[in-house]
Amino acid sequence: MITKLTKMLGVAAFASVALLSSARAADMATVKVGVLHDLSGTMAISETSLRDILLFTFDEINAKGGVLGKKIVPVIVDPGSDWPTFAVKSKQLLEVDKVAVVFGCWTSVSRKSALPVFEKDNGLLFYPVQYEGEEESQNVAYTAEAVNQQAIPAVDYFIAQGKKKFYLIGTDYVYPQTTNLVLLEYLLSKKVPLANIGGGFVKDSSGKITNAGKYTPFGHKDYQQIIAEIKDFAASGDACVISTLNGDTNPPFFKEYAAAGLTADTCPVVSYSIAEDEFRSLPAKDLVGQIGCWTYFQSIDTPANKKFLADFQAWLKTTNAEGVVKEGRVVDSPMVLSYDGVYLWKACVEKAGSFDVDKVRAAWKSGVSFMGPGGKVTTQPNMHLTKTVYIGESKADGQFKILKTFPDVFGEPHLKGTFK
Amino acid sequence: MAWKSFLRSLPWVIIATVGCLTGPRAKAAQETARATIVRAILAPDAAQKLEIISSLAGQGDEAIRELFTAWRQDGLFLYAPADGAKIPVELTGDKDAQGAQTAVRADNGEVLKTAAGQPLRLVGSELVAVEHDARLRLAMRNVVDLLDLGSPLLAKRLRAIQTLGAAQKPDKLPVLLARAQVETEADAKLALRQAIALIELADPSDELKLKGLAELRLLHSSASYDLIKAARAKAQADGKSGIAKAADLAMGAIEQHRSVVNFFGTLFRGLSAGSILLVVALGLAITFGLMGVINMAHGEMITVGAYATYLTQKVFGDGVNFTLPFIKFAIHLPGLHLTGWAYQCYFVVAIPVGFLGAALVGIALERSVIRFLYRRPLESLLATFGVSLILQQMFKLTFGSNNVNVDSPVYLSSNWTIFDITFAWNRVFVIGFAAVIVFGVWLALTKTPLGLLIRCVMQNRMMAACMGVRTERVNMLTFALGSGLAGLAGVFVTQLGTVGPSMGQEYIVDSFMTVVVGGVGSIFGTVVSALGIGLADQSLQQILLNPVLGKILVLVSIILFLQWRPTGLFAARSRSLD
Repeated sequence: MITKLTKMLGVAAFASVALLSSARAADMATVKVGVLHDLSGTMAISETSLRDILLFTFDEINAKGGVLGKKIVPVIVDPGSDWPTFAVKSKQLLEVDKVAVVFGCWTSVSRKSALPVFEKDNGLLFYPVQYEGEEESQNVAYTAEAVNQQAIPAVDYFIAQGKKKFYLIGTDYVYPQTTNLVLLEYLLSKKVPLANIGGGFVKDSSGKITNAGKYTPFGHKDYQQIIAEIKDFAASGDACVISTLNGDTNPPFFKEYAAAGLTADTCPVVSYSIAEDEFRSLPAKDLVGQIGCWTYFQSIDTPANKKFLADFQAWLKTTNAEGVVKEGRVVDSPMVLSYDGVYLWKACVEKAGSFDVDKVRAAWKSGVSFMGPGGKVTTQPNMHLTKTVYIGESKADGQFKILKTFPDVFGEPHLKGTFK
Repeated sequence: MAWKSFLRSLPWVIIATVGCLTGPRAKAAQETARATIVRAILAPDAAQKLEIISSLAGQGDEAIRELFTAWRQDGLFLYAPADGAKIPVELTGDKDAQGAQTAVRADNGEVLKTAAGQPLRLVGSELVAVEHDARLRLAMRNVVDLLDLGSPLLAKRLRAIQTLGAAQKPDKLPVLLARAQVETEADAKLALRQAIALIELADPSDELKLKGLAELRLLHSSASYDLIKAARAKAQADGKSGIAKAADLAMGAIEQHRSVVNFFGTLFRGLSAGSILLVVALGLAITFGLMGVINMAHGEMITVGAYATYLTQKVFGDGVNFTLPFIKFAIHLPGLHLTGWAYQCYFVVAIPVGFLGAALVGIALERSVIRFLYRRPLESLLATFGVSLILQQMFKLTFGSNNVNVDSPVYLSSNWTIFDITFAWNRVFVIGFAAVIVFGVWLALTKTPLGLLIRCVMQNRMMAACMGVRTERVNMLTFALGSGLAGLAGVFVTQLGTVGPSMGQEYIVDSFMTVVVGGVGSIFGTVVSALGIGLADQSLQQILLNPVLGKILVLVSIILFLQWRPTGLFAARSRSLD
């Protein structure tokens, strides 16, 4: 009975959507694009911001005449932070809505879930959030930071600062685990002895290291013991912490860190998962001077970035899109990479003269550039981006002071085994 | 030729200047460090430059570091306006479209301005960079290294001493010895002894090495462990068994010291972890343990306390706006705009606010739902679970789904380090806090008329009613007390972790576990089980070096324990529970 009812409801909803879209198509030619971000569940906190920035970008492009003269019409779906649902929703976007391109995913596990559908249906997914690498699908445009565009420059920065000991800590899932294994190889290649890498190792029966660093589960609260270990590790004054801790576990970690008397001066922490957006719910006072490494900071002082920020704030004031929070908004790297992604897709479509995925991919591989808020981004044949990497120091107001800039860093997804 | 002899005498020049300047920077008073550096930049030949640079050694002025860093990294330029003067400037900030940057005058640290008073932006590639060579860079480096050693701030001095020690450069030894003569702070003295010993350890002479190792063995500081280990490896490779043996002894002393520190540290951490469990579970020990209500909304009472703390903090600060859901009632709490200590007191005020807030919510919950379900525990489980979900959504709609941030007051965000064991103030506080609450609850239950009523109603509700006790009222107050205690826990956990709509869920399992292990109905049992679980958890973490495995082992042993003693540690015998 209930299933019948839902089926009928579904058909009704679908029919009304179809009616609406055909009505819209009458006044201007349109192109449908998919937005695949969690708008409910645990990941909604982070991904709602990406939906907002995508809507802003579409409005901005539409106001200037659209793509190939066609107006962008977003099809927004909500997988509800449930990983298998990503595959279902991808299928719906590609096979039912027949969208030209999809912008979406945040966690690596959601990307891995959607990937087979995109490969089977030859769709194109733009993925904007820093990730662990070791992947190069022809159906994903990785605008995200590859490991060498975030993790490695930060380690280089610490080495240049004279740091000799590195403590690896992260949340227990695929991104931190893989990143730390790559970093372990990198540190060893920089002649950092194994004894100077903290957090512990797991070795298999042949003695090969299969896991490096200390891991805590999602939602872990008690960091006393780990902080005591770090304090002992950092007693020599030349240590730093490389953290891939996930958002929720950061407040207890940093509160304990500060209470133990560790500071950015004695033992700095670089956090790969903390950007401006996460800062809104963090104890900023306890984080002053800690390091962030991204390909965009809101504090970048260029006319292009200032214009982008002003335009976004103006859009927030006027938009009537549902569920957009209008106050206290900040912009961070995943948001800007989403923005850059839409413009790169537009540039590729215009270069190819077609919305066809194969032609757009060929345009991407031929190298297309866009001047984004964080500087120039250029597409690469390996589906990643060349972009500028920034290292910043956090301030009490939740923004970053930029310490170092590495222009035009080539995105390299396959790093495991490349360091000698 | 003059060059070489000067270079050879350079270390002595530095020592001499440090020696002169150990009395705080008497000579620098006539000329600022910036002015001296400008003089060095404009000096006609390299020898003079070198001399002027070296004369800065031992000064604590931060401008030296900034300018020398800029100089060494080609960030200093000579700006020559039309009148023929030469102004050294530092270009900072991001480049604009023309490649121009803000120019800061090296002589006074102010932004360079045109005659009209407009800030002047300059393009680096069009100017002459101030030159430097290896010798100048070395001299600058030496000055910068010593910069912090004369700093009036103890923390900076300590770090400088530690850095010099860890670098193990023999040429820095005289400077450290000179500093040791005048240093008065005990901490810095200790650090100096260690740094000197570490440098001696790196000395080629065996005698000094042994002297350094003996000293390090006395000091047994973790900081020197890696360096001693390296020295031992080298001594073994060189076949110097005497030194290797001394290094072994020094390392042994450090390891022994470390294990003592770890033992007492773990004891303290276990006590504090147990205290948190106790604070969180005590409210449940009353609502579940005494009253027999399976209250799944206990976690949300903790959340109420946490949000009460957040609101109190906001009122002490800039005020806060929020809208109650459904009725769309907008509330504006004006801020008191307090700063300094008055603001820091917000946490003290939040304690009663959190208690009362959660107690009121508890009363509302008891009156509206629970009082109908005293005889039906399973239904109360379902109903309170529903209430918990409703409350979570209410928090989400009121305060947003993002976590909110509660600052730690200064008196809870530092630590005492005694005998190398860190006693974080928030942890010390929670132990005291737990003790006070337990004592308060014990007093309330055993020494007050209300406590007497509570105990008699909980033992036999019908009989108490027959004796003329207003059981309804007692039920309500007992539930309010339990909820208020959960609110107190909420106030405290803002100092440890995240504050968000679903934070209560993280504590509910721990709370039930503690109460059940302790024995339902026994407050004393809850105390023992909380401390026991906390200690076991922290010790296992210390032994296994893995936070997850430790927790799993604790849970497994609890399951086994409950198989053996289903009623928990201290079973309360009560007719209402039978």
